[in-house]
Amino acid sequence: MKSAHAEADQFRRRAVIGFFAISVALFGLSLGYFRLQVLQHEEYKTRSEANRIKPRPIVPARGLIYDRNGKLLADNVPAYRLEVVPEEAGNLEATLAGLAQLVAISEDELQQFHSARKATRSFRPVVLKLRLSEEARARLAVNRYRFPGVDVVPYLTRRYPYGNLFAHVVGYVGRLDANDLATLGDSKYSALTHVGKSGLEKSYEARLRGEIGYENVEQNVEGRMLRIVNNEPAEPGLDLQLSIDADLQRAAVEAFGDFDGAAIAVDPRTGEVLAMVSLPMFDPNLFVNGISHTDYAALTTNLSRPLFDRNLHGGTVPGSTVKPFIGLAGLESGVRRPEDRIFSSGVFHLPGVKRGFNDAHAGGHGWVDLRESIAQSVNTYYYQLALDLGIKRFDDYLYRYGFGRPTGIDLIGESEGILPSPEFKRKRFKSDWYPGDTVNAGIGQGFWVTTPLQLVQATATLAQDGVRHPLHLTRAARQGFQQPWQPWPQSAAEVVASDLGNLQAIKEGMVAAVTHGTAHAIGIGAPYLIAGKTGTAQHISRRTNASMSPHNLPLGLRHQALFIAYAPADAPSIAIVVVVEHGGYGATTAAPIARKIMDAWLIKRLPVSTNTASAKTP
Amino acid sequence: MITWLRDITLSFLDKVDWPLMLALCAVMAASLVVQHSAGGGDSHVVIAQAARFIAGLAVMLLLTRISPARLRIWTPLVFAVTLALLPLVFVIGSGRSARLWINLGFFYLQPGELLKLTVPMMLAWHLHRRVLPPTWTSLAGCLAIIAIPVALIILQPDLGTGMLVVASGVFAVFLAGIGWGRIGLFAGMGLSSLPLAWLFLMPYQKNRILTFINPESDPLGAGWNIIQSKIAIGSGGLFGKGWGQGSQAHLDFLPEHTTDFAFSVLSEEWGWLGVSVLFALYLFIVGRSLWIATNARDGYSRLLAGALAMTFSVYVLVNGSMVVGLLPVVGIPMPLLSYGGTSAVSLLAGFGIIMSVHAHRKFMS
Repeated sequence: MKSAHAEADQFRRRAVIGFFAISVALFGLSLGYFRLQVLQHEEYKTRSEANRIKPRPIVPARGLIYDRNGKLLADNVPAYRLEVVPEEAGNLEATLAGLAQLVAISEDELQQFHSARKATRSFRPVVLKLRLSEEARARLAVNRYRFPGVDVVPYLTRRYPYGNLFAHVVGYVGRLDANDLATLGDSKYSALTHVGKSGLEKSYEARLRGEIGYENVEQNVEGRMLRIVNNEPAEPGLDLQLSIDADLQRAAVEAFGDFDGAAIAVDPRTGEVLAMVSLPMFDPNLFVNGISHTDYAALTTNLSRPLFDRNLHGGTVPGSTVKPFIGLAGLESGVRRPEDRIFSSGVFHLPGVKRGFNDAHAGGHGWVDLRESIAQSVNTYYYQLALDLGIKRFDDYLYRYGFGRPTGIDLIGESEGILPSPEFKRKRFKSDWYPGDTVNAGIGQGFWVTTPLQLVQATATLAQDGVRHPLHLTRAARQGFQQPWQPWPQSAAEVVASDLGNLQAIKEGMVAAVTHGTAHAIGIGAPYLIAGKTGTAQHISRRTNASMSPHNLPLGLRHQALFIAYAPADAPSIAIVVVVEHGGYGATTAAPIARKIMDAWLIKRLPVSTNTASAKTP
Repeated sequence: MITWLRDITLSFLDKVDWPLMLALCAVMAASLVVQHSAGGGDSHVVIAQAARFIAGLAVMLLLTRISPARLRIWTPLVFAVTLALLPLVFVIGSGRSARLWINLGFFYLQPGELLKLTVPMMLAWHLHRRVLPPTWTSLAGCLAIIAIPVALIILQPDLGTGMLVVASGVFAVFLAGIGWGRIGLFAGMGLSSLPLAWLFLMPYQKNRILTFINPESDPLGAGWNIIQSKIAIGSGGLFGKGWGQGSQAHLDFLPEHTTDFAFSVLSEEWGWLGVSVLFALYLFIVGRSLWIATNARDGYSRLLAGALAMTFSVYVLVNGSMVVGLLPVVGIPMPLLSYGGTSAVSLLAGFGIIMSVHAHRKFMS
């Protein structure tokens, strides 16, 4: 039974016990404080007075980035920044107004200053303006006495001497923000001002940054520095040497002329990337010290999306450029022999399906074998081959050649593309797989998405007789000036096809495409033999937008002309992919661009004898 | 007009327990003084803290007007709502290292903070209907009321709040008169499960406990805080270095000097005398609240006010011990002294309930 009185009495007893226990604990704690503050006071007082030695972080210079010939792509240059210590500045508004009369301070800079100030204690300096001009520095020096708590501080800032040329490869650094600090985790990184935000600057951030050190600084009671007691030195960041060739990069950009698009050139023997462009480009220097709203808006509203890295994140339907690889799958699986012939009538029909699948030639190509099917890009050959392989086997082989998986390039966020499969279709479209889907996949259309990186890697793999090297941009690194360059470790290559006879048949088909096939125009006058394949990715009907300027069309609606190639065909030293947005057919726009890039790389490297010998034959 | 305004004000103040109110105001005044110095003379900190106190006092005055009888009727509903808010932080929560907050647009709500009030409310509601001392069945109910919210809070992860909620529950059961044998049994079970709890701690929490055991092991890293805090307190001496003269705080040796280590700043600048005065104020607040609880009109009010009062002392004891290195740094503030919004508001709300218990004691006796 409940008894109100008994419960109240019980509670009173417990409350008294509780209060007693709390009193004892608090008294005990108070005694603890007495021991610390009164009995041991002398000891702690001494320690407090000696406590003027404070660790201060030393931020090492960021590693430099060079191209393969030692040209500097990312540099550190001395600059000066304007800092204000709010506590010492007295009337902050008046100080800011006074400074604004000496130095141009934009609305953006003022906003950043105020938000940084709120996150910092008031006796700590806050950056007001980065990269002061010579003139502004002189004016500040003269007026310095008027502004207590205002300081001009030297620092190193990042500069990209080639401007927009390496915007997507090297990337850029930007000012450290709260998100970066949260990912870096350790409080010592608050000493950093910049971190890599994109490209290699981001993927090699930790190596380029180096290790932050400490120096123990003795200061007086007011907090002024007296001397450096000792230090734990900072470890400088790594310098990187890229496999990129700045001249080839420039030649690639010039080859595009007015077109947008992407191109990559690699050395098939190593997987080294020689040039990698995504057009249009942008100036990474804009981002280093905080981009202005107008500049940023101009970049983000541009329909051609300059900030978008077409090579890494972009994907396109590969069109006919995957035919050599599908052909190889046919040979390797034993479904076809090189000499097997298929009849092309101009239209291909699935049993029981009324709508046909077309060839590029209205009347068809007649009887064609593997070589001619590549040279003339005969759709019917591949419609039938895809059906004979079946989508499962089709996917197994193409995955092995590198489609639908990352190339392993040393950049962050590489897209995997899409290898068409029933699983993919079910997941994305909640719909079953039909034989027509397999037929479409056979000519690189339908659900296919490949990145330029995947296409160039697959081409290089073919050129290298089935050896697939992971693509990479960094070939060597060194720790500071005095150290020698050390080769950067690369992941092992993978053999994805080993039957040389099969590979030879495909390669002959690609040579034939340039000697008398779809791309014959670009072979003319070349002092070396080219193997290539054209392709076109159509997004909307060509008829309706024939008169439209490509620059006014959103990226997703532009159709793309593609070309893959390697050269010299007998001993390949360059493999290339070119994607031209809104560039008509692969043969007419993409192939000539590829030729110019290959010329820029090969002509000066060819042995003189070969050069003169082939020049005789027109 | 003037009289009308005065009447309104007076009627809002008529339920206030003035001894308790004065002691609370004294602590809050001390807080503003300490924050002024700890914030490096930045008036922004002082104004923000004052604004929170005013908000907390408003909530407190409102709660004095709700009678415990009505509060008791609403208890299951209020508990259910606050419990339902907890899983929300996993979905829409924010916070730097842990997800503790829900952004309501005009301010950040921390559901864990609300449960510091609603868990003792629910326990008091649960226990007041049953025979006391509690039977094993009622204890099982208590365990569920404590364990479910605490598990969710610790998952967030917010160890400090979790511990305070556990404490409020333990005190409610203790005040309900649970037998000493069972207290011993539960204490033994709790102690023996500690090694198991270690496995569930986050790396940074383990790190705090390891540096607590040996702060000198990492003098520039995690142990730095404790060493510097002890130097600040010890160098304060009997009378302190004087207001604004604490070199440890001002040369930036002392970390988190407005929040977790605000009490170190007070100790450095006001010495052992300042510490003792503050401790005395805290003890008075706890004593007065317990006295109010003993004189409450029913079991619900008694248990609720008693549990809230005893929980308040946990803040003081844990924070006071942690800044001198007697306990690991667990993120429990010095109540009404440390800088921080939600804990000030929820503490003052608790005192609003206690004052209401006092104001409504007469009706039944």
